[in-house]
Amino acid sequence: KRRRGSESVDIEDRLESLITRVGEKSTSSLESNLEGLASVLESDLPNYKQKIMRILCECVTTMPEKLTVYTTLVGLLNAKNYNAGGEFVELLVRNLKEVLKTSEFDSALVMVRFLADLINCHVIVAASLIMMFDSFLEVTLEDNIPQVRSDWYVYAVLSSMPWVGKELAEKKDAELEKLLTTIEHYIQKRQKIHVQTLRVWTSDDPHPQEEYLDCLWAQIKNLRANQWEEHQILRPYLAFNVVLCDALQHTLPRIIPPSHHDEATYPLPTVVFRMFDYTDVPEGVGIIPGSQAIERYLLEEHISRIIESYHLERKDCAAYLLSFPLKCKVPLNYMIVEVLFSQLFRLPRPPYIDLFYGSLLVELCKLQPSSMPQVVAQATEMLYDRLDTMNTSCIERFVQWFAYHLSNFQFRWTWDEWSDCTQQDLLGPKAKFVQEVLLKCMRLSYHQRMVEIVPADFKALLPRKPVPSFKYEKEGSGSLPGTIVVHQLMQAIKSKCTPEEAFSIIKDVPNPLKEKEGMDPGYNPLRIEVFVQTLLYIGSKSFSHSFAAISKFNNVLKALAETQDGQICLLKSLYELHKDHQQLIVVLIDKLLKTQIVECSAVANWIFSDEMMQDFTSDEEDYDNVKRIWQRFEVAYKEATDFYVWEIMHSTVKKMNKQVQKLQKEVDEARDRREAAHRRTRDGLDLDDEPEDVPTEEMIERMEDRLEAAQSEQKNLFLIIFQRFIIILTDHLAKCESDDSDYNTHWYKWVIERLQQVFLLHHEQVYRYINTLETLMFTSDIDIHILEVFQQFCALRS
Amino acid sequence: SRQQQEDLLLHSTTLYVGNLSFFTTEEQIHELFTRAGDVKRIIMGLDKFKKTPCGFCFVELRKFPRSVLIASDPSFYNLNSVVRYYTREDAENAMRYANGTRLDDRVVRTDWDVGFKEGRQYGRG
Repeated sequence: KRRRGSESVDIEDRLESLITRVGEKSTSSLESNLEGLASVLESDLPNYKQKIMRILCECVTTMPEKLTVYTTLVGLLNAKNYNAGGEFVELLVRNLKEVLKTSEFDSALVMVRFLADLINCHVIVAASLIMMFDSFLEVTLEDNIPQVRSDWYVYAVLSSMPWVGKELAEKKDAELEKLLTTIEHYIQKRQKIHVQTLRVWTSDDPHPQEEYLDCLWAQIKNLRANQWEEHQILRPYLAFNVVLCDALQHTLPRIIPPSHHDEATYPLPTVVFRMFDYTDVPEGVGIIPGSQAIERYLLEEHISRIIESYHLERKDCAAYLLSFPLKCKVPLNYMIVEVLFSQLFRLPRPPYIDLFYGSLLVELCKLQPSSMPQVVAQATEMLYDRLDTMNTSCIERFVQWFAYHLSNFQFRWTWDEWSDCTQQDLLGPKAKFVQEVLLKCMRLSYHQRMVEIVPADFKALLPRKPVPSFKYEKEGSGSLPGTIVVHQLMQAIKSKCTPEEAFSIIKDVPNPLKEKEGMDPGYNPLRIEVFVQTLLYIGSKSFSHSFAAISKFNNVLKALAETQDGQICLLKSLYELHKDHQQLIVVLIDKLLKTQIVECSAVANWIFSDEMMQDFTSDEEDYDNVKRIWQRFEVAYKEATDFYVWEIMHSTVKKMNKQVQKLQKEVDEARDRREAAHRRTRDGLDLDDEPEDVPTEEMIERMEDRLEAAQSEQKNLFLIIFQRFIIILTDHLAKCESDDSDYNTHWYKWVIERLQQVFLLHHEQVYRYINTLETLMFTSDIDIHILEVFQQFCALRS
Repeated sequence: SRQQQEDLLLHSTTLYVGNLSFFTTEEQIHELFTRAGDVKRIIMGLDKFKKTPCGFCFVELRKFPRSVLIASDPSFYNLNSVVRYYTREDAENAMRYANGTRLDDRVVRTDWDVGFKEGRQYGRG
């Protein structure tokens, strides 16, 4: 489709397309393409200079995987037109200063790297790059700043070294050594309390899981030991050495890091995820570089950059990943799979939604059916083998991905090879993993299919059939109090009674609590149970039926569950009816929250109630494991270890967070509109037809009140959650101490890592309340195991 | 008008989901599409070819074992439905990542929809 307009628009479009596409697969060589493009740009410079500069600068950040292609192009342009080179550098530096100010550190990183590589193309003098690096490293001497700030500046310098180390060593050896010494001192004095909380695996066997800056430092030291020779970066400028050497170079203006302020958010530290080494790869397809080789870092960087550039188009992303230009023979499939899993498992959160990784892996398998599926299968086997030390959050993502993957491949899997899980305690990581995978697979298909796909000895791990368990229609229900009312109610609802009519039927249900204690408890558990279970049982045909039931009887439900205890009772009734249909519980609670029938804090309190959380398994250690597996339905362990419970918890917290965000946005926008109106009045631009939608001071105050109320609800929710975690974990630890038994049970691991997950998944929100948490909850008198989780979280941003 | 239609599509949070198996339930669609974001509503559609009101047809058919119906021509039982999200961003994620992947062994196709209106479940286009 061609845009209308002048000829110049056409030329600008053509320039943009030429510049953005250079370096893609082409019939002629990259060198001749670059040479041709540089000439075109040179001749268009007089008329389209601004446009060309802008496009080039955009390429720096939008296509970081082609960095050296663009540095070469800029180099060639500079050799032809010194002023143009100067203007480009000036613009890029201006952009860099801007993104540093606005905390866009990812863009800043590629800009720094680009500037560094420009010394290889004789655009910038080496001494001025050293000056920039020096001023970056001065940040390490600042007082009272978070470590993440100095970490970033050190990382920016270190991560440019593979591109520029050799040139600097030749031209500015002494200065370079000084830089590296400063970095070495810094690396040695850093605190690393955060590492525990960010690791995918607690074990370093078979592969060490290194802190990212430590790992890069080790790789750079190796690179230096190898005289700065690396074997990964394509350097198109080498072919133009003669032309480029004649070019005049520019001096970088001073770039001083903007000083620290409280709003600045620096990238969080990471732990480098490693799952393969050279022994995992079949012969003949190349060698995976060692974990401390710079090539490993460069490959990972390049793959990550491609993902970043193309994540919105999974098909393009897969194609670009597989057509990666390699200098030496590397098993690219393995590297891609490792990087994808490293992102999927990244803590606190993956860079993109997990469906992206799932669909990209499916795409890669389709695009390269001869080898990709095998590599993905091999990776899955390895992840399964290493489940024992895997973090719960990561196991959860593994389950989520694997179920999706299986559903894309007809659920075909060599389950027999995993039969060791059937020998395990049901709460053991492998057994639990398989149970949760089957549950998730069932949600994407249906129960019978699960029965068909797994071998007979997996029977104990199969989900129960997701059907309602309605006690009022079971044998012996006649003796239950309420059965008669249930049948009346059922008749009435089926013949489309009004909510008022329904309410009048249950009105006289006696309150068992009142009879016992002789006072009004504020809710009637029997009435709630009768109504909720009958209504949801009738609606259990599908989600839509259930939703329709809730929405029709919305007012009745609200009237029954006015108090928090009433709401918790409602949730218990729902759970009792649908406990074999986890997905339905999840969506129904979601609906109850959205329709404001229950509050977030009621959900949290319900999740931590004894019925859901208590650890009964430690009383049963004597049971023979195998026997217990076969007694699946008799074993009384509570839902705390079931993944869907935490699915509910996190979606509840997210809902709360979204509400606060929404109200915050409303207040901000109202204030902006009001200020703009004031400005207009001040500037005498106030016309008679002033827009009506300028909010009054009162309206803004009311909005602020609502925001404040939501914020205190949010804070309260977090306090409830953390308090309950502390209580159940403290109970467990105390019990184990008095029994003289090992506290580190499966139950304990599942639950304490869920505590960690609450911190990580909602870290921005939790962080706002960190002082309250420190003074009220995570005080020095609580058990060190629990306190550590909090301290590690705090260290993430310190 | 055409322009209005285009604007609606550009801001739509609703997806038309095609090529579903006739056996695919609302629950399954929810499970896949909720991975892209918060689903507001799912409307189960109709048999594209027979134009019979699926609401009934569907429920009735599910009383038979799956295997019986799979034996007949599966392409005949082709179901379409509509998934609506709360935000455009979530709907875009579904377009990007759920579109073209499998559900119930069928490659699901999604497309922008200007929004569900009553009566629309009786066939499309």
